[in-house]
Amino acid sequence: MKGELLTVIIVVATALAFDFTNGFHDTANVVATSISTRAMAPRLAVGYAAMLNFVGAFISLKVAATVASDVVDPGAITLLVVFGGLVGAIAWNLTTWYFGLPSSSSHALIGGIVGSMLVAKGPDAVFFENGIIGKVMLPALVAPTLAFIVGGASILVLYRIVGGLRPRPVTRGFRTGQVISGGLLALAHGTNDAQKTMGVIALALVAYGSLPASDPTPPTWVVVSAAGAIAIGTYAGGWRIIKTMGSRIHKMDSAQGFAAQGAGAAVILASSHGGFPLSTTHTISGAVIGSGAAKRLSAVRWGVAGNIVVAWIVTLPVAAAMGALTYAVTRLFGTGAAGPLVVSVLIVIGSAVLFSRRAQQAGPVAQAET
Amino acid sequence: MPLAFVDWDALLTVIWASLLAGIGVTAAYGLAILGTTRAIDYGRTGRVAEAAVYAVIGVLGGATVLAAIVFGIVVLTQK
Repeated sequence: MKGELLTVIIVVATALAFDFTNGFHDTANVVATSISTRAMAPRLAVGYAAMLNFVGAFISLKVAATVASDVVDPGAITLLVVFGGLVGAIAWNLTTWYFGLPSSSSHALIGGIVGSMLVAKGPDAVFFENGIIGKVMLPALVAPTLAFIVGGASILVLYRIVGGLRPRPVTRGFRTGQVISGGLLALAHGTNDAQKTMGVIALALVAYGSLPASDPTPPTWVVVSAAGAIAIGTYAGGWRIIKTMGSRIHKMDSAQGFAAQGAGAAVILASSHGGFPLSTTHTISGAVIGSGAAKRLSAVRWGVAGNIVVAWIVTLPVAAAMGALTYAVTRLFGTGAAGPLVVSVLIVIGSAVLFSRRAQQAGPVAQAET
Repeated sequence: MPLAFVDWDALLTVIWASLLAGIGVTAAYGLAILGTTRAIDYGRTGRVAEAAVYAVIGVLGGATVLAAIVFGIVVLTQK
């Protein structure tokens, strides 16, 4: 029992570490356009997003175990499967952050858990049709396409409406609008993504036996710690991805920033209302590209956009491979806490190396803040 | 029906709702800016009737955006 307690502590700590990388990685979704158009100062923008991510985590407390339970058999989940999935997702999030690519943290988590489960229990424990295709791959195709169209159409309509006005009040108006639309995005992100981590921790607690499988409502300490981890991660700010989203895809004006955020928020909320899960990263990226392409196709750096799409496509299989590898390595040490302990130490060392290498390069914070 | 396990009704709802909300709300916000800016400009030159019409357009645009935000928060809390 002591060994299992240590394992569940490591799994919960790993889930919170994933939550931190999720906030850190996805900050760009919310703040990049606001920073790029100078609607908000960089530090103020990430602080604002962090606060609303924290609040968003408390808005809906319905159990959010769907990340795991819709794509794999919940009855087959063990602590080591959850651990393998989380490490796979963290590894992918850090890799894409290193290269400054916006990719879906949710897809990384799903991929990691699926890969881990495939090695642990085989393909029968994975729901391919209803889960992987119906709830992951199809939304991954529809959401960015839809956001691209809505973002593009919105900016064309906006230019038509405000085209003849003096630029100064228009810019000021759209910058104010971006504060509002960015806030709504941050709330949606906090609600969506912090809930996923809460759900994963709840699954670990069910596997440990401290929560009933029939009602795995996360306890208050899980809600508070998940909200805190995503908020701290958001405040830490993934500046490299912010730079890609905010200025490397195309140089945005304030109307485009507002159109992209508005389109992203509309697609995310419409999908939430219709019970259709999607990735906030895919949606916002699609809207940003759409708002640029509608103004002028050549305004978009299609090479950067292409890299982003490639990252989306490979997220699921690569995170699955990482999750599978983590599970396999962990099992080499048996079913106790030794495996997770060794892998945790390795992932901490690997993260420290990545962060120090990036810190040695020309300050990305300074670049993003200017 | 291909991919029968997909909820096509929900998907279609998401598509039209996204188009309506996304384009509608951004257009409403654009109208709010248009109305406010023109109302101020006409007000300064003493053209009260035009200023009043544009002020109404601005208020309606702003109210639509506000309603959409409230609806968005309700959606977030209810899912």
